[in-house]
Amino acid sequence: MTQSPLDGSGRKIGALETDLINSYTKGHLSRRQFVTRGSIMGLSVAFMGTIVAACGDDKDSGGTSGDGTSTGDSTGAAAGEIKQGGTLRIASQKPGSPLDPVAMDNLGSYTPVVTAFEYLVGKGDGAALAPMLAESWSPNDDGSVWTFKLRSGVKWHDGKPFTSADVVATLDRLAPGNLQAYIVEGAAKAIDDLTVEVTLNAPDGQFPAQLGVYNPQSVITPADYVAGTTLDAKPNGTGPFKLDKFDIATGATFVRNDEWWAGKPFLDKLEFIFSDSIDTQVTGLLGGAADAIVQFSVQGGDAVLSNPDVTVESIRGSAHRMIWMNTREGNFTDVRVRQAVALGIDRQALIDTVLKGKGDIGNDHPIAPVYEFWDSAQPQRTRDIEKAKALLKDAGKEGLKVTLVAPVLQEIPQLAELIQSQLKEIGMEVELNVLPYEGYYDNWCKVYDSTVAPAGCDGGAEFGIVDYGNRATPDVFLVKAYATGEWNSAHYISEPFNAAVAEYQASLDLAGRKGPISTIQKTATEDVPYVIPYFYNSLTAYKKNVSGIVATGLGHFYCGTAGFLA
Amino acid sequence: MRSFLLKRLASAIITLWLLASIVFLVVNVLPGNVGRKVLGPFAPESEVIKYNARLGTDRALLAQYFTSIKRVFTLDFGTSYQFGTSVKGIIFPALLRSGKLALLAFVITIPISIAAGVYAARRQDKLSDRVIVNAGLASSSIPEFVTAAVLMSVFAVNFGIGEVYANPPAGTSLLGQLQYLMLPAMAMVVAYFGYIARMTRAGVIGALASDYARTATMKGMSKGQVMWRHVLRNALAPTITVISVQIGYLIGGIIGVEKVFNYAGLGSTMLTAVGSKDVPVLQGAVLLVGLVYMISTLLADLLIAYLNPRVRLETKR
Repeated sequence: MTQSPLDGSGRKIGALETDLINSYTKGHLSRRQFVTRGSIMGLSVAFMGTIVAACGDDKDSGGTSGDGTSTGDSTGAAAGEIKQGGTLRIASQKPGSPLDPVAMDNLGSYTPVVTAFEYLVGKGDGAALAPMLAESWSPNDDGSVWTFKLRSGVKWHDGKPFTSADVVATLDRLAPGNLQAYIVEGAAKAIDDLTVEVTLNAPDGQFPAQLGVYNPQSVITPADYVAGTTLDAKPNGTGPFKLDKFDIATGATFVRNDEWWAGKPFLDKLEFIFSDSIDTQVTGLLGGAADAIVQFSVQGGDAVLSNPDVTVESIRGSAHRMIWMNTREGNFTDVRVRQAVALGIDRQALIDTVLKGKGDIGNDHPIAPVYEFWDSAQPQRTRDIEKAKALLKDAGKEGLKVTLVAPVLQEIPQLAELIQSQLKEIGMEVELNVLPYEGYYDNWCKVYDSTVAPAGCDGGAEFGIVDYGNRATPDVFLVKAYATGEWNSAHYISEPFNAAVAEYQASLDLAGRKGPISTIQKTATEDVPYVIPYFYNSLTAYKKNVSGIVATGLGHFYCGTAGFLA
Repeated sequence: MRSFLLKRLASAIITLWLLASIVFLVVNVLPGNVGRKVLGPFAPESEVIKYNARLGTDRALLAQYFTSIKRVFTLDFGTSYQFGTSVKGIIFPALLRSGKLALLAFVITIPISIAAGVYAARRQDKLSDRVIVNAGLASSSIPEFVTAAVLMSVFAVNFGIGEVYANPPAGTSLLGQLQYLMLPAMAMVVAYFGYIARMTRAGVIGALASDYARTATMKGMSKGQVMWRHVLRNALAPTITVISVQIGYLIGGIIGVEKVFNYAGLGSTMLTAVGSKDVPVLQGAVLLVGLVYMISTLLADLLIAYLNPRVRLETKR
């Protein structure tokens, strides 16, 4: 096609978008996959709606959020009007590091920072993206240059206008660390006050996802926010609430930003009350000291789950646990032994007991079902005690005695105990070594040097459990845990696997990803260097008289459209 | 009196130095290095090395030791490794919070316990004495965080009396703050009542049996006068000593109670600092607790010396 068509709003539809639309109209994509992918590419909801309607596939056309606000997710809407005013008290995790948007690395620090600051790209329905500080975005033909059109009329809390200079400065600050795989310093250019053009190191069809909620460090900060500035030292932001008071030991208070671009928020104030542990946060919610809790886990959250005065939201994601087995030396070098372990565990029982059902079943690969390219056609591995025993016998490892290390972290000790009892049934004697969280990671990977090839993660135990958090794309799991070695506690090397990963990363559209992902899933499941039994949901809760909250499971607790019901 | 004071001050300084040294040793024996602790397990090794160089935590242990001792004596508490803010800004507010709770706990405990102890001593071996002694023994045996958890569960959660979080919102009046601190303070009262009451009782029984008390009674003084003018000032010496030691514990040691009520006292601050190998905060906090112990024991010794002239005079040889 020599002529580039336009969508209804005048945005050019390039080659990538055309491929996506063709995939959908040909039936290679479901409506949901089309809308999710389209939102990442920056296609407007209205435009996608017309395509969906034209295909006659509009039985769920009301499913996507109709407006452009990222916080306007309809999940929180309950019957009843939200009244103006009020202070929302929120139990949250104490920050473990300074509130430095570029350097922060723990949930406790994320929550206050992402309340004041916002991203270019926000959260839409489910896994879809939505406009936030960027109103729209589009790639060039091969996905190597992305252009972001910024929202006009947005003001910083200190009154200055939000412009492309702020975005360019932020991206330059992120280039050496957080975004080093995608851009270099200077890759972002301000075309005009409200347009930014970003040139990537290599084409990437999913780049906008890196400037959104699943990369908390990518919040946009003002141009004069030099590296090392913290939110409490220099309060600012574009979000619905402004930081008013901050005491790292006790809590943070935010007041309403009447000039917020999405409209005046309902609440007057947000009071975050810090706690060291989830237990005290839960007590706060149930004992009347807090109206909401940012995030908690099933462990210790029983009382919340069964409380009738509280709404619990369960957010699916890609966070999981990897049970690593050293493929290079020790008891697990034979793939039959590893497969025996994978066949010996009862995944559904683990989910039901440890997660109280709040999770997705895992198939020994890190491609979570929430990823739109997940290959659902792959057969799910289920428990087969006889086959497991036979495999152990073939490998000459009947009655194998091993030690499993695990950290004291959320539900992992309980997971370890259940695995121990499940593997007993296939004739494996597992001794547990549950260690304190402090210093645990030395048992997983003692040496983290990524410059040491081929598997630079050395000195750990041969059999253990490690945690992986929610990510927008599985790239970090695939590259670091399975390939270059920085987190490769299983010392796993597979050329076919790495080739598939390279192909996946190079592909620019969903259709191009599906093939390599299928290969990745199949190879990971067959070779099983890691047993991945489940992807767990993150839980958030608030009193029944509160509505309109949007949480992400990564510390975000959006209250821009939240308030108390009348 | 002056030489007494001077000797006490000199030993105080030596104690402080010992304390600072022990803290430094203990923290540096823990596994993990500071850069790795602060940046987390997933940071690249090159960043960890840079961080350690910046903080000076990659220098020889002896060099770090001298720096930290020098800082202690110039009262420069330094900067927190974990948060990058001044240590003073972290430990002094924590001290204030712990102090408020300790004060409330003592204001309630001391009068009740001493009165109970005197009462029990005067009715020695009678039923009321037995009740006080055994009830006190039982309540003191329960760990204070257990009492705290039970009180919180029963009163705050179940009956809605008192608060689950002890830290009052900013701007609460003094009276309002009492409401928030009441439950944790009561946990401390339950834990210490028995101990202080029994100490007092023993002291009073001993003093009542002394010859000066007998002389005073035979002179014709009333029971009350004997108690007030002669017995108490001699009987309370061990009790005062015990209370002065407990003050230090209340300021820095009641982590369990602080955790139950989500109260950011000095104890919890120290625990966090240990976990993140935040040596400056830990050192500053431990020294602060040490200072509190020293001041309170010094005051206790002075009070005893005032009440009992023999103590004063005995030191002057």
